Amino acid sequence: MNNSSYSLTFLILALVLIVCILANLSLGSVAIPIKDVIASLVGSEVSKSSWEYIILDYRLPKTITAIIAGSGLAVSGLLMQTLFRNPLAGPFVLGISSGASLGVALYILGGTALGLSTALLSGKWGLIIAASAGSFLVLLMVIGVATRVKDTMALLIIGLMVGSLTSAVVSVLAYFSKAEELQRFVFWSFGSLGDLSWSGVGILALCFAVGLILSIASLKSLDSFLLGDAYARTLGTRFSRSRLLIIIATSLLAGSITAFAGPIAFIGLAVPHLIRQVIKTTRHIILLPAVIMGGAILMLICDTIAQVPFSEFTLPINAISAMVGAPVVIWLLVRKKKLLF
Amino acid sequence: MKNTTLFLIGILSLFISCKEKSKKVKNNESQGTSLSIDYANGFSIKQYTNHTIITVTEAFPGAQKEFKYALIPRDSSGNNTDIELSKTLEETLKSQGVDAILKTPLNTVVVTSTTHIPSLEMLGVAKTLKGFPNLDYISSPLSRKRIANKEIIDLGQNESLNTELTIELRPEVIISFGVEGENKSLNSVERAGIPVLYNGDWVEKDPLGKAEWIKFFGALYGKEREADSIFNHIKTNYNLLKEQIANIENKPTVLSGGMFKDIWYLPKGDSWQAKVLEDAGGNYLWSETEGAGSIALSIESVLEKGQQADFWIAPGQYTSYAKLASDNPTYAQFDAFKNKKVYTFAKYKGETGGLLYYELAPNRPDLVLRDLAKILHPEIITEDFTFFDTLDE
Repeated sequence: MNNSSYSLTFLILALVLIVCILANLSLGSVAIPIKDVIASLVGSEVSKSSWEYIILDYRLPKTITAIIAGSGLAVSGLLMQTLFRNPLAGPFVLGISSGASLGVALYILGGTALGLSTALLSGKWGLIIAASAGSFLVLLMVIGVATRVKDTMALLIIGLMVGSLTSAVVSVLAYFSKAEELQRFVFWSFGSLGDLSWSGVGILALCFAVGLILSIASLKSLDSFLLGDAYARTLGTRFSRSRLLIIIATSLLAGSITAFAGPIAFIGLAVPHLIRQVIKTTRHIILLPAVIMGGAILMLICDTIAQVPFSEFTLPINAISAMVGAPVVIWLLVRKKKLLF
Repeated sequence: MKNTTLFLIGILSLFISCKEKSKKVKNNESQGTSLSIDYANGFSIKQYTNHTIITVTEAFPGAQKEFKYALIPRDSSGNNTDIELSKTLEETLKSQGVDAILKTPLNTVVVTSTTHIPSLEMLGVAKTLKGFPNLDYISSPLSRKRIANKEIIDLGQNESLNTELTIELRPEVIISFGVEGENKSLNSVERAGIPVLYNGDWVEKDPLGKAEWIKFFGALYGKEREADSIFNHIKTNYNLLKEQIANIENKPTVLSGGMFKDIWYLPKGDSWQAKVLEDAGGNYLWSETEGAGSIALSIESVLEKGQQADFWIAPGQYTSYAKLASDNPTYAQFDAFKNKKVYTFAKYKGETGGLLYYELAPNRPDLVLRDLAKILHPEIITEDFTFFDTLDE
């Protein structure tokens, strides 16, 4: 594939992305005419002040969160698949989401199950701090292990084991908790993109930007990682340092997104595969921007469906992403009869 | 020129009147009178000349923060000076750090727990209820009728209130029973300028304490006196019956709760359910356990202690002996099962399947007490059951 056909693909992706953003902003539980949506965005007169509020302070932050979450998870999925040279890897293989779950479980369920006082953390940021602290601790553990263990595959297994361990602790906590607390925890684990304040979106965007810069800095080493650990070393890539950089980027992206939006499965695993079906290259300089756009598009579509336009119920985003995405991946693989990796 | 002078005089007089009024407000601060709250521990109400302050001290278990809500009576006359006064008052209150300022009586509310609905109905203000998460939980015939007429809209689920619909509805207040900060959609509704009030009726351990929260709603609607007399009626009924029962020597033993998977959940000794059982002249076998929630026990330990209990009250959602026995044969081992002395509150359901007990019982402990007394000491009660009934075959 030559460069001009890449630019065509990118043009199509960009157009789809813009359509998805507009659709996401226009559809929701409250039916708002498209002219009022646009009026709110450009700052002119809107028929109802509540509509303006809904568009600018509810839907717009939600759309931005969806873009960040989709792109961020997809990028960390790509990084992990390359690092581990394993098509089954995703953003959470290092145990980041289980770490966040553990933090939130201790915060919500710990009061009853362990008699812990979480009063110190009460207030609007308590849950986010608990989730961040959980994933940060797991991250520290993984980095500690990564500097000792030379084999990348061993790191993958260790990540999975950490995940099992934390989910076991969460199960024990859940077993002894009250129904209401359990319900709160379950609702957190459903994931949700909405209801973030602008300051929340700001912090999320900052983490996303740093994670992305680290990923861009790793572009060259990522290409060499695909050839294998040993080969990467011979190519002169500073192996341990690059590996650490990739792990930090992933953790920052997936950890901050999980802290703010809850665990969102599937996107990170599926988007890199979807993109590789469309763009047949192993060069990360092409893959990375495509994955960023693809993740945002898929997440926006899922969120629009999860809002079930014009009804009072919203569906859990965590379930929708898999429900929408999995058949697409299966269909693509069956059609192409082979995995491009 | 003339106009300018007039304008200046106007401004000046406004300034002076503001100053006077702010003085007035300050003077009033010290003269507040507390309304009597006898059983509830979670809130207090203090009335000042121009406003009322509700302080919620225990909005959720272990709450460290007090919530203060200022209520300013609406001015029906529309007099200008009063608007000035209320503006100054609002500024003073804001500087004191109240969590919300509300104009009373409220015209539009959203409540989030079915236990809030009986209070609204008893105070005669059910028509102000405009939205509720998951309408199917509501059982009361009056509110069901309003739902059928589309006067109450469904706002999704309590744990994730539909933010868009709530903002579009713009209620004057949302009354929540949750834990501050853990409900993302409530945070976002608060940012949109809709105040969220925390109602801690569910935290109260005393049966009458739960019912006393009607005074919280009374203050929100300027119906303090009505709330007071409704509560006094409930309190008098409850205490009279309790005294009458206190003279009865025979105290039958009582078992409660049921299993989920293989764990038996039953109310702890300090819970309101345990207290009503004791007040109804029962010997609740787990009255020694500390705490207010429910306790999780193994089937062995419950069988050991409760096998010979005279009565088994509230076996979860069960309404028949057959279902109990088929779900778990162990249930049939209890004497109360063999002697058909199992009573449930699961038979009285609203149109859409909500249980009347969950909605009304916390507000009417007098009726719960009467039902339990009828079960344990049938000779002293002639009235029909409100919540409880025997299990079907």
